[in-house]
Amino acid sequence: MNSIIDALDKGIEMAGIARKRISVPSDIPFDPDAVKTLGVDYFQIPRGRAIAFGTGLKLGNPDLKVIPVAGDLMTLGGNHFVHGSRRNMELLVICVNNFVYKNIGGKPAPFTQAVFSPYSTFEEPFNFPHLGNSCGAVYTARWTALHAEELAASIAEALNKRGLSMIEVLAPGPNYYRSIDGIESELLQFYFNNSVVKNNEDPRNVAITPDEKIAVGKFTDKERPTFIDSYNVQHSKMLGDKFTPHGSPPKVEKLGGKNG
Amino acid sequence: MKADPRGVLTGVYYIDGDVAAGYGALAAGCKFVAGYPITPSTEAFEAICHRGPQVGAVFIQMEDELGSISAIIGATWSGVKTMTITSGPGYSLMQECIGFGAMLETPFVLLNIQRGGPSTGVPTKTGQADMMQSRWGSHGDYELIAIAPESPQEMFDYTIKAFNLAEKYRCPIMIMSDECVGHMTEKVVIPEADKIEVEPRRLYTGPAEDYLPFKPEPDLVPKMAKAGDGLKLYITGQTHDERGYPVKDAEYKSKYGRRLVDKIRLNKDKIIELKEEGTDNADVIVVSYGISSRVAIKGVELAREKGIKVGTLRLVTVWPFPDEKMSELAKKAKAFVVPEINYGQVVYDVARCAHGRANVVLVPHGGAGVHNPNDIADAIEMAAKEDKKIEGLIEFKTRLEKSVFEGGFKLKE
Amino acid sequence: MMETPKTDEKQEIHPMENLLRMDRMPHIWCPTCGIGLAVTAFTAALEKANIDPNTVSIVSGIGCTGRVAGYVKLDSFHTTHGRPIAFATGIKVASPKTKVVVFSGDGDLMAIGGNHFIHAARRNIDMLVVCVNNFIYAMTGGQVAPTTPLAAYATTSPYGCVEPPFNIPYLAESSGAVYVARWTTLHIRRLTNSLTEALQKTGFSVVEAISPCGMYYSRINRLGDGLDMMRFYHDNVEIRHGEDTKNLDIGFQTKIICGKFVDRERPSYNERYNQWLSEVKTAGRHSKGQKGSKK
Repeated sequence: MNSIIDALDKGIEMAGIARKRISVPSDIPFDPDAVKTLGVDYFQIPRGRAIAFGTGLKLGNPDLKVIPVAGDLMTLGGNHFVHGSRRNMELLVICVNNFVYKNIGGKPAPFTQAVFSPYSTFEEPFNFPHLGNSCGAVYTARWTALHAEELAASIAEALNKRGLSMIEVLAPGPNYYRSIDGIESELLQFYFNNSVVKNNEDPRNVAITPDEKIAVGKFTDKERPTFIDSYNVQHSKMLGDKFTPHGSPPKVEKLGGKNG
Repeated sequence: MKADPRGVLTGVYYIDGDVAAGYGALAAGCKFVAGYPITPSTEAFEAICHRGPQVGAVFIQMEDELGSISAIIGATWSGVKTMTITSGPGYSLMQECIGFGAMLETPFVLLNIQRGGPSTGVPTKTGQADMMQSRWGSHGDYELIAIAPESPQEMFDYTIKAFNLAEKYRCPIMIMSDECVGHMTEKVVIPEADKIEVEPRRLYTGPAEDYLPFKPEPDLVPKMAKAGDGLKLYITGQTHDERGYPVKDAEYKSKYGRRLVDKIRLNKDKIIELKEEGTDNADVIVVSYGISSRVAIKGVELAREKGIKVGTLRLVTVWPFPDEKMSELAKKAKAFVVPEINYGQVVYDVARCAHGRANVVLVPHGGAGVHNPNDIADAIEMAAKEDKKIEGLIEFKTRLEKSVFEGGFKLKE
Repeated sequence: MMETPKTDEKQEIHPMENLLRMDRMPHIWCPTCGIGLAVTAFTAALEKANIDPNTVSIVSGIGCTGRVAGYVKLDSFHTTHGRPIAFATGIKVASPKTKVVVFSGDGDLMAIGGNHFIHAARRNIDMLVVCVNNFIYAMTGGQVAPTTPLAAYATTSPYGCVEPPFNIPYLAESSGAVYVARWTTLHIRRLTNSLTEALQKTGFSVVEAISPCGMYYSRINRLGDGLDMMRFYHDNVEIRHGEDTKNLDIGFQTKIICGKFVDRERPSYNERYNQWLSEVKTAGRHSKGQKGSKK
């Protein structure tokens, strides 16, 4: 988590956005000191609801930049994620993936068998970039927590996108195992060593499989009207002067379809 | 503070209770509504979708009720007044974040148009069986305020009141209406904006570094803040101290958890609103709320024709419960008659306050309809004739129940 | 007043009578609604796929399509809003021999049930999901659904829908479904064939059945009645088997692409589970033996 907070700190700096404009709803508890360093408004939300809460924050005050940190592998929050992507809410979702992968790049990951789960697991996690992309996210990327520079640069880039951006961060080694010396760093190093940068790869091909190296990089970068844009365009068109556009002025002129 | 004229749709309307509540929210200055369609509350959300964009309120139809309530809590923290609307199963889904809202001391209004339950139940018909859920629904200790309007006009008036109470006590407010009131179409008068009092948000205005989001004012309610003001908020659903930082020890849990309960309990006298009529020298007092109080009027009339001295006590705010008032009445009256559309919820609180000094008669109803006023009249008569003090609850056998299963199930030996 | 048509002495028998609860007829669906067609296609597919009806459980959620389970003479479950896939997951995992079918609407499956949808697809639970898509919440009176096309009217989008709709096949594919097809209820024979194929498949199969809603969707949007919608499907549907799912967006009264898009193999949840269980059992015996030897 610390490396993610560092990357957030650096990314916000690089994006050139005033820190007071940034809100971070998260279902992962942040350390109060870390939040102080970040200088943002922080909300710890019931598990899985960070994106829904962020939707409210953004619509309540469109000037905010909202960075929901989703740390539950989309188990409870998956629905909010797919619908947020579909609506293209202006959020930067940091999806912290701490799934315990047994094998990566054809090699067994250290400790997974012995420490995390004696019998391993039989579930497969999502291919998050593909899921986000298929629902309409305008920016998807994946990095391991050790790709500090790249992650920060991605955060900076995504913060200046209009629409839902999603950055998956592979961060194994939950807090509970921190007491066991070296697990976190060794696992992270293993992930880092077994990753390969594949920018602009079709998100369909970036699932994490036991036999291949982890594909990292930026996979999606497109433009699409955001929820607030569409809301303003459609209502201005139908209501004329009776409607005051919400937030910053819209970019798109016309929606598709007969009524648009 | 007077209401912003932009949101007040002044005029005389012939609308149903749901729509009236939607207009009430806009009049109170609600600027964000997240909802999800669910019968019989949808009309309120539709009214806001229709009128909201014209008066500067934003709406969004979320993917589910969990999303709706999370979004309105988020929007409240970005500085606007918010509401969500639901019914039946949707209300159950929202419980998680009702507790979250209470913990964060977030002001918002939740309109629950009750329907017959449990589960899907009878979606298009009425019920009053969520009353205890509104009190104890989310886990953990918290107190909140629940209001039960009985007419479309009241839906408008009390929605405004709900927003005002939310701002005043920084807590979620439940409007516990029901399908009958929600779908009842009546005359609703919306006055001019300068006749509507609205409570502004108690925002902190001092220097940023001194702000403590949970430091109580003399009335135990802390000042609110919003994201984006450079206050470096740290807000968490964990038990927290005045700075908002998580605490774990029993000592702190008591110190900071207690206030969530006490800020409502100690301000009770200012919150509770009752409508009392003829209770001074009454033998029997009919205690009711929501649509049941309207049905009870006829029952009371019928009983009075028979010469029985009946008073009525209507709980406009059901929670917090008026313990002192009820105890006081228990000393004077012979019995309480409580008609409600469930198998006994608020009646247990009446019985607790009566404490054996007066008999307590429940007139139950399984939902999907309202009471037959004759049942209420008969229950009053029965209670008036009973001179013995009867321990526990007396359940009146209504005509409906007698006709359906001859006055109740019995276990076979 | 309309005269009731005279019936022959011999009562006419519905061809699917053995699979329908005739005692619950007439059903609640409006005239020109397409859900009945989807049900007929499904029952025909059940017969065609040669599946013993006694082994089939059908689970529905809430909404117009949510009523389907109640009219089909199988083990029927009418569950809560959005939860049919979660309910069906329970059935399938606890009783692997049961053939599980989820028959529900777009609002139920994609909005409130969206999470269960993507997770069941990810796990590849062996079930057939029939998603009847009528672009609107019809049971509650015509609200916006996550499938309502941009700029279409609904009661909660009185000025036109502002949210782009889901592309259901794309979402299903990206979350891991093994069989994905889309038809309209006009394509009754092709729909039946797809359902038959999907019923015989192991894994998470999704068949989207686009259906006219003559009462709400087409009325609010002034598109005529259900029959006009059928005519629209006739003129505007293009069949493209194997089309890349990302090209399957549906706009307001735009061309609809139908066909079978995905048909692939992935180990299902139960298969994975069983494999895992055998590994665990071996491992368990192994470690037990070690402990014993230490003692």
